[in-house]
Amino acid sequence: MFRGALAGFLRSRYNLAVAPVSRTVRVKVLFFGRLKDVVGHSQESLNLADAVTIEQLFAVYAARTPELAQYRSSVVASRNQEFAAWDTVLYPGDEVAFLPPVSGG
Amino acid sequence: MAPPFHHEDIFQLVREPIDLRALIEHVRAPGDGAIVTFDGFVRNQSHNRATLYLDYEAYESMALVKMREIAAQLHEKYGIHRVAIVHRLGHLEIGETSVFIAVSAPHRAAAFDACRFAIDTLKRTVPIWKKEYFEDGAVWADGELPPAPLATPRAKPAS
Repeated sequence: MFRGALAGFLRSRYNLAVAPVSRTVRVKVLFFGRLKDVVGHSQESLNLADAVTIEQLFAVYAARTPELAQYRSSVVASRNQEFAAWDTVLYPGDEVAFLPPVSGG
Repeated sequence: MAPPFHHEDIFQLVREPIDLRALIEHVRAPGDGAIVTFDGFVRNQSHNRATLYLDYEAYESMALVKMREIAAQLHEKYGIHRVAIVHRLGHLEIGETSVFIAVSAPHRAAAFDACRFAIDTLKRTVPIWKKEYFEDGAVWADGELPPAPLATPRAKPAS
């Protein structure tokens, strides 16, 4: 954010071309059970824009695989092996998993 | 203030048959007077359809974290001595044990209560899934949606 503002300032004031710096967040994303079948794989690493939430991450996959959207209300998410709220903001290196209802035992 | 003997608890995800006897012996100690176990094994039918076999998968790293949390709760709530929680993954035939829990305590009431709490909590919170195979296809079993936080706590305003 600060770098973006700085770049804009330099561009306007001094007509300097400064390449926009967009920070990306690399996260590992896991799918289990029926969700794995729906998206077609169990895990991948993904580069996200800064300040993406788990909800927005799910939307990225739902855009790729529209069938996924219907499972939204029966999925919980985890971040780094802990159940997490959908508005959780992701940080570089986070491991996010989308978990359907559990059926162990 | 950690209750004693946590380091003697067992949490495992295994792909081979579970050795029930060894786990019972593990939790048994001279200061105890009761062991309660839960042996969950594969049923031959589901909703009146004949089951051929089951296949279990887990989010293994998180499942182990959640199993540890259950054990911590058992020590805290019931004052039990030792606990062993083992879940099997992969292909399981009818009659094979999928989950085994053994809890030891000085007296039976705590052991019964703790064992019941452990299996109930495992079924609700540990990320493990089972796929049921039938003559005419396979389905992921209906499960329980674990309780998750609804929203992240709001950051404290700067003072």
